[in-house]
Amino acid sequence: MEERKMNGNESLELISQMIKNTQSRIERHNGMPFMVWGYTTVIVSLAVWFMLKSSSNYNWNYLWFLIPAIGYPTMMVLLKKQSNGMKTMMDKFIGYVWLSIGIAAFIVSVSTFIYWQTPVLFIVLLLIGSGTLITALLIQYKLLIFMGLASYASAILCLIIRDVNVILVFAATFLVMMVIPGHILYAKNRRNHV
Amino acid sequence: MFKELDPLLHSELRLAIMSIVITVAEADFLSIKEQTRATAGNLSVQIEKLKEAGYIEVQKGFLGKRTRTVCKITLRGAEAFKNYVEALKSYLNLE
Repeated sequence: MEERKMNGNESLELISQMIKNTQSRIERHNGMPFMVWGYTTVIVSLAVWFMLKSSSNYNWNYLWFLIPAIGYPTMMVLLKKQSNGMKTMMDKFIGYVWLSIGIAAFIVSVSTFIYWQTPVLFIVLLLIGSGTLITALLIQYKLLIFMGLASYASAILCLIIRDVNVILVFAATFLVMMVIPGHILYAKNRRNHV
Repeated sequence: MFKELDPLLHSELRLAIMSIVITVAEADFLSIKEQTRATAGNLSVQIEKLKEAGYIEVQKGFLGKRTRTVCKITLRGAEAFKNYVEALKSYLNLE
């Protein structure tokens, strides 16, 4: 492409062609982040549940920090790999929402060092459920909207159940709220790209 | 009465760059180069001209070990683009 002067028709044609090409290059939401965070959370939760159940040593709770330790680097690699050099306002907004939620969830987890009775799973589920719901509403994915809303009910359940089995509710919620919709979104995205 | 066409935008490559950055929140140099099929040198010059006019914002950073130049449209750029399209419409009797 040169620094060439064009007539009016050529200009309009160029504008519409560039906008069309750019829109077709924009990465659709492919469900990968949901799968990464969903699987990481489910596996770590089950590991914590199993260790607490079998040994009753509360130091196993430190395993929870494996979630950000595994999730963030995986996401970084994934985002770098999938980047096509363009970002929409919606991508940015969703990114900021999850960044804020991630920081808040981390603070809630760390707060147990100060006040051990903090209902971490309840608050984290409310936070992640809200992030899921916001994302679902933005990308207009009905199944995910439903899952986001359902996670609020699970959060309440996490407040009611008072023993270690509460972790199973937490893990199951992530499986249903993130892993399954993530796979469906991923498959849908692949079909659209074939 | 015809509206005047902005000479800065009435050039093939600069108009292509503006059409890309108005569609997304940000686009990096490589993606613009791929899409416009322009040479890196020519593209740099035209991006610089748009930047000097205040139509786009250019941020240089890193992606891993590689440098990454990201372009974003400014409010002034969006306004200029809108006026350019309006002027084009009046030329082509599309209003």
